[in-house]
Amino acid sequence: MFLNSVILILQEVLEAALLISVLLVFSKRYNIKPLWVAAGIGAGAIGAIFFALNMAEVSEWFDYVGQEVVNALLQLTLFLVLGLLAFLLSTRTTRPTTFKDTPHFPHDSSSDLKKSLNIMFSMILAVSLIITLEGSEIFIYISGVINQPLHVQPTLAGSGIGAGIGISAGILIYYGLLGLPTRKISHSSLLLLALVGGNMASQATLLLTQADWLPYSKVVWDSSTLLQENSVVGHLLYALIGYEATPSLFQFLSYLSGVSLILLCWLLGKLMDKPAPSLSTPATTIKTNY
Amino acid sequence: MRSKLWSIKTSVLGLVLFGSNVFSATPVIELKIQDHLFFPEIIEIPANTKVKLLVNNLDPTAEEFESYELNREKVISGNRKAVIFIGPLPPGEYPFFGEFYPKTAQGKILVVEP
Repeated sequence: MFLNSVILILQEVLEAALLISVLLVFSKRYNIKPLWVAAGIGAGAIGAIFFALNMAEVSEWFDYVGQEVVNALLQLTLFLVLGLLAFLLSTRTTRPTTFKDTPHFPHDSSSDLKKSLNIMFSMILAVSLIITLEGSEIFIYISGVINQPLHVQPTLAGSGIGAGIGISAGILIYYGLLGLPTRKISHSSLLLLALVGGNMASQATLLLTQADWLPYSKVVWDSSTLLQENSVVGHLLYALIGYEATPSLFQFLSYLSGVSLILLCWLLGKLMDKPAPSLSTPATTIKTNY
Repeated sequence: MRSKLWSIKTSVLGLVLFGSNVFSATPVIELKIQDHLFFPEIIEIPANTKVKLLVNNLDPTAEEFESYELNREKVISGNRKAVIFIGPLPPGEYPFFGEFYPKTAQGKILVVEP
């Protein structure tokens, strides 16, 4: 039970930790107070418990595939929120003049404040969605084991260690990103955000296929001999980049489309924010407060 | 026990073949979870046919049906049923397990040429 708990909880926590770390990097970069993390985790915890308590009921919807449909819906909503965030965050980086001269990012106009609030609310929504998705499974697992005295101790210890490793990995990603040269921070964080988006799109496709709402498509490749999904590295890569040893064609396509769409949202934001020379302006000219 | 298992497997296969040939609807295969074990633990299904797995969890605790080879994952609440669509698949062996109780809850799907 101990090792199983470590792996199970680690995988769930890691997916959430990656997203939270990337969003924290963005919010630090744009001087948004990280209070939104607490709000997102709090709302997500309530969502996870509510979802878990109603899981039995939800699962019976749509002829016993309600769980897949609701999970896919949450994943697609999260995907849209990530797209919106990519759009909003890209426009913030190209604020002209004042950015360069002010040591702290200025909330000097009502439009800036409005934008900050939009980013903050989107971040809260994103975090609460991923915590609901990942946390509901943890809650169901632990609440099932808690009634079996023999399993309680190893499960709780394993879960604690799994969560600890997951959170540590998140912290590592956070400082890893912040340790990059300044101009690379945004782009690296954006890439990770896009990978989370692609992962969500791919998982939603898989669930809708499992529910028979999407047609079957052939397996594109089989890399299970190179890297098994149930190996430690396989688990880590699944959580971080959505690694599948035998992805279906639709899954693969939705992953690629998901990643591309998030990147396009960012590009669109940049184009709309500064139409004329912005794309050719080297990012090094933009100074931030660190 | 062994022969009983075989008879379950044969009857499941018979049901599948019968279902797919006569009604051309998705064949339904029943799988039970009891005391953190799958019954039957080996299921035979025909190749290149989509099947509907109806999982009945008779335990009071939730279990998660998981299979890396099948790319399937689903939580089944205690004392509830769930449906998982599988395939069409090429012939082969596709292990599955209960992620919450993996030491005992193990099984596999054998996909065979009809």
